Amino acid sequence: MRAEKICKSFRRLFKEKMVLFDISLSIEEGEVFGILGPNGAGKTTLMSIFSTLIRPDKGSLEVLGRDALRETHAIRERINISSGNPNFPWSLTVRENLHHSAMLYGLYGRSLYRSVDDSISAFGLESHSDAKFETLSTGLKQRVSLAKSILNRPQILFLDEPTSGLDPEMAMKTRDLIKKIYQKEEITVVLTTHYMPEAEELCDRIAFLREGRLVALGTPKELKRALQIGHRITIEYQGMIDPVRLRIIPGVMEVRELSGRVEMVFDHSGRTFSSIIKAFGEADILDIEIEQPDLEDVFLELAR
Amino acid sequence: MSWRGELNKVLSATYKNWIISKRNVFTVFELIFWPFIGLLSIGLLTRFLEVGDDMVAFVLVGAIALSILQISQIDVAYILLFDLWSKSIKQTFVSPVRGYHLVLGAMLFGVIRGVAVFLVLAAASGHLFGFDFLAGGAVTVIVFLAGIFITAASIGMVVCISILLFGQRADVAAWTLSGIMMLVSGVYYPVSILPGPLQILSKSIPLTYLLEYYRSAYGYGSHQILLGMALALLYFSASLLILNLAIERARRTGMMLRLSE
Repeated sequence: MRAEKICKSFRRLFKEKMVLFDISLSIEEGEVFGILGPNGAGKTTLMSIFSTLIRPDKGSLEVLGRDALRETHAIRERINISSGNPNFPWSLTVRENLHHSAMLYGLYGRSLYRSVDDSISAFGLESHSDAKFETLSTGLKQRVSLAKSILNRPQILFLDEPTSGLDPEMAMKTRDLIKKIYQKEEITVVLTTHYMPEAEELCDRIAFLREGRLVALGTPKELKRALQIGHRITIEYQGMIDPVRLRIIPGVMEVRELSGRVEMVFDHSGRTFSSIIKAFGEADILDIEIEQPDLEDVFLELAR
Repeated sequence: MSWRGELNKVLSATYKNWIISKRNVFTVFELIFWPFIGLLSIGLLTRFLEVGDDMVAFVLVGAIALSILQISQIDVAYILLFDLWSKSIKQTFVSPVRGYHLVLGAMLFGVIRGVAVFLVLAAASGHLFGFDFLAGGAVTVIVFLAGIFITAASIGMVVCISILLFGQRADVAAWTLSGIMMLVSGVYYPVSILPGPLQILSKSIPLTYLLEYYRSAYGYGSHQILLGMALALLYFSASLLILNLAIERARRTGMMLRLSE
């Protein structure tokens, strides 16, 4: 999938608001690609453009080798989406909603019934298949939406905040299910989230959006490195040290000295860690605590 | 895509309307209660006014036509109305369906419900007021109903277009358009009594010609059914075209997202 200079604005009450500015990126086949950003960054709008639900004002988009602004129906046959805060016709049961969605995708005969059954069992919905959608909990609604998204065996699966509103246990289960699906089906997954551990766990590459602009793109490791978000180390010691020796070590970004304790931020690459230990010289090291940076730090850095 | 796949895309709207209707107690009111009350009121009024048989036929044809039109147009409007109320519009439009799939599927269900209403009202008007709805022959009934179903589908599509253009509040169109039709198409009176400008408007509405056609079978005036059917087909084609344009516009403006919020 390749997007070139995608722009989008929305008009409300005669006021036009730009929500996406010149977004260019490409997503490789079989990749799990995350779109991250704070609320209002334009994640859902970008996802909606990628899934051909809405059209961009400017720019070009190629999905599965086709022009996504012209060959929309052919693309829709081969993709699917699970929306955050999903909704389906309330008075239809889980099975009926999936049956209806399968019909919308042109499935018929035995393959329709098999797809519905497979989707229900993939997301553990067997005991809820005859429950009306309106009676389901948020977690179950999310699972129905995920079940719907695999009905047509899509080549690209778009997941818009797939674990939003779920409790931690259900969110973990949902992430496991997502992993299972893309590993089994070998499909491309594009997901939006603002839950950083989720992105770190699932995504091969991540695009960060802020106020409609693409501010960073890369693997979680590349982003941490590019933003120089280092490891944090806290060393408790006894004796005398020279803080200047610590500050001049290549890779050390920050040093804070407290009584009998030093807090540092350093780049884990190279020999920085051993240099730090050597710099303590004759002082006794009582305790060392190392904290790895996570995407939360990247997010906070980029959202500033 | 195979023809069976295409057929199932069409039948998806029929399936959804059928499931929702069978679960909804409101359906009984739509199919039986309101049409029957309407017919009964008009029929009793003719008794009170002591009008002749031709006049009874005139108003009962209008009452039944209006009931069928209302039930069939709302079924086509339900394409978007059900999704609008359950905030699930984007689930439909992210899938590979086109406007005609949805319209034809919903129209099929509208035809089934419209025929059911026709049979109930034809039986009731025969039993209560001695009016034989089939006196004009089967062909007359088929042409009359076909014209009403095509006209109803156009009205239903106009409701959908209004929602896609103006948002959620436009759903009121579902209940007002057939009211306007009632006023200008001569449902309960001949269009000749309307003021000049409304008479011109009535000539542009297929229902006017369909009513004239059916009433002519009971010896009430002449008809121009070919013009009426041509107009009905023209409006149907134009509505389908505009519906597709409105769907594309809703994708451009983001209305498609707003209607799902």
